[in-house]
Amino acid sequence: MAFLFVALPLVVAGILPLIGKISKKVLPDVVANSVLIILLGLVFVEGRGLVGQAASIQQLSWLGEPVNIKLLLDGFSLFMLFAVSLVGLAISLFSIDYMDHYGSKANFYALFLVMIAGMNGLLLATDLFQVYLFLEVAAIASYALVAFGLGHDELEAAFKYLMLSAVASVFIMLAVTIIFGLTGSLGFEPVSQGLRALDAKFIVGLCSAFFIMGFGLKAALVPFHAWLPDAHPSAPAPISAVLSGLLIKVSGVYALTRVFITVFGLPPDLSTVLMYLGIISMVVAALLALGQTDIKRMLAYSSISQVGYIILGIGLGTPLGILGGLFHLFNHALAKSLLFLNSGSLQMSTGTRNLDEMGGLAKRMPVTAGTNLVGALSIAGVPPLNGFWSKLIIIIALIQAGHWAFALIAVLVSVLTLWYYLLIQRKAFFGKLNEKWNAVREAPFWMTVSTVLLALLCIVTGIFFAATVQSWVRPAADALVRGVQAALGSVGF
Amino acid sequence: MILEIALLCGLVVFSAAAIILRDLLKAAICLAAASLLLGIVYFRMNAPYIGVFEISVVAGMITVLFIVTIALTKTGGDVREAKAAEWIFPLVLVLFLAVDILVAKSLINKIPALESLPEQGTFGEVLWKMRTFDLVGQIGLIFAGVLGVLALFRKRSKDE
Amino acid sequence: MSNTWLVYMSFAALLLFIGLYCLLTMRNLIKLVIGVVIGAKGFGLALVATGLVKKNIILAQALAVTFVVVEVCVVALALALIINIYRKDGSLDVRRLTKLKG
Repeated sequence: MAFLFVALPLVVAGILPLIGKISKKVLPDVVANSVLIILLGLVFVEGRGLVGQAASIQQLSWLGEPVNIKLLLDGFSLFMLFAVSLVGLAISLFSIDYMDHYGSKANFYALFLVMIAGMNGLLLATDLFQVYLFLEVAAIASYALVAFGLGHDELEAAFKYLMLSAVASVFIMLAVTIIFGLTGSLGFEPVSQGLRALDAKFIVGLCSAFFIMGFGLKAALVPFHAWLPDAHPSAPAPISAVLSGLLIKVSGVYALTRVFITVFGLPPDLSTVLMYLGIISMVVAALLALGQTDIKRMLAYSSISQVGYIILGIGLGTPLGILGGLFHLFNHALAKSLLFLNSGSLQMSTGTRNLDEMGGLAKRMPVTAGTNLVGALSIAGVPPLNGFWSKLIIIIALIQAGHWAFALIAVLVSVLTLWYYLLIQRKAFFGKLNEKWNAVREAPFWMTVSTVLLALLCIVTGIFFAATVQSWVRPAADALVRGVQAALGSVGF
Repeated sequence: MILEIALLCGLVVFSAAAIILRDLLKAAICLAAASLLLGIVYFRMNAPYIGVFEISVVAGMITVLFIVTIALTKTGGDVREAKAAEWIFPLVLVLFLAVDILVAKSLINKIPALESLPEQGTFGEVLWKMRTFDLVGQIGLIFAGVLGVLALFRKRSKDE
Repeated sequence: MSNTWLVYMSFAALLLFIGLYCLLTMRNLIKLVIGVVIGAKGFGLALVATGLVKKNIILAQALAVTFVVVEVCVVALALALIINIYRKDGSLDVRRLTKLKG
């Protein structure tokens, strides 16, 4: 059943171009969005089936014969699937209105669904090579989606993104091959056992370095972040939201965490390296975000900074740290997508992304202003919104582990984050209404629906954070903390 | 072994040529020749399936894609590569080769490895039965590639 | 690991180096894609050589075949992007792609 996560979007993506020939607007929208709604429902079904088990490795059977597709479904992958389906649904609702003027909507939805299928496949993979394969599927779909508008900026950004991604892929695959050479197999569990039996510190360290270079580029950690500030602003707004909110986390953070924690078992040196990378990303990106005038570029740098928080939490390695990191991943996915979607609304209404040209739009676009405020405060970490709780957990975890300096820096960066987000609010929404924008209208229906949905989720997750953490984040963190044990199957279907 | 090493040297020479040559068409042909040699090396390694795939897909299809692109992008003036990059290349290559050989010599017998698993069955069985999820991934790849290229070449009926 | 493996791997490393060098220094967009293809070749060689030594060459071939499919899709998309860039810009020089500052 979990196979549907990958199969359903792929199959629908295959038939969408045909549907697009029949009906240009209504049918592709309905079909694509219903796929995502089905996936969201599937997450709950699978989640219920998972209660009480550590993990399950599911085996399919097709027409009586067992088909050898093994899917890894544990707390961590389920949690990420939930995030992907939720944010994916909001983004695809947004695209109903936004992608109207780009043309070829069915094709857009098809590529979007292939990307979702690729991300889901990565989340469910049991094997190092499959992680790489589905990473490429999602990446190739994203290259085309970034360049979807066919303007000069988009093409340039997409090409640079492609080149850098190709280099990252080389590093990842190099590490996978070396591991294959050492242990003779590729699955998570055999490799982990094999690496424990061998004592190859140097080679494993080399592979870890390669993985960090490869996955770090996908997650846009400093110093591998150079592609992100160009790619995310140039892409159409829903694609920026998917890239920032989901792709860098799934193909970067999830893959990194899976490999390092489930397979390598997170040795202390590695933990230190990750924490330093996290801190550097947080600080550098936050500083760079201050000087931007393009709203989407500012949001892009903010993404790099927040991913730094997540890696800091996960790199810490303690249960509380991992919990905080994962919770922040979820919150950031919700909030950052919300912010990028809003920037799309702004761009559609005013035609510009330059903050200096906007002003006082709260009067004409109240819903957008309100949801933007929620999203901004959430990422900046203002109580009682969700971002506050996740950052707090990370900071407490740091203090508990004795890393006072890191905790202090995290708090300072949080303040910095609050500052530049309030800058966005002030420049774009508050203040006097710039005369140019007297005729501006609020964003169209589906766009407001999706942003309001995400904003409500931010608020609800914040107020009921204990419940969210207990039901979703804690099983994920437990799955990671238990390490390899969690990846072994207990019951197959 | 001698034949393999000769083939591999040929492979490296053609690849280097593909980079240094100014004329893109000749570079593409060198790339095809390199793929051909690589296919033959694969055959000698007892890996016929990948050998066939390499020759038909890389030496065939990718070369065709390159030639189509080169035909569609005939520029008026050629892009001048940096002279320095071209002259330095052979030197850097030989330097890297030296480093490579030294590293390899020092690593002999130093890399630990586990016992290998027993042989798995025929290629068809392995691909279809053991790595079925990979096939799903390949379907995804092909969809992504085809849809992506279609999206990039779509007709713009109204302007963006 | 045996000597044959090291020989193959050193050639694979050489190919990967050529590919990376090309990506770093070449200016023509199409040459950059040629660099990617050469790197992919080096990579496939490493994969099959590792399979040869681990006596599991069938598995290595299955992986290498899938990898070639990845390579083809990436190259196809890259070339499609290049054709579009050429139509907008009129040139294939990567130095012209500097409108966006990182």
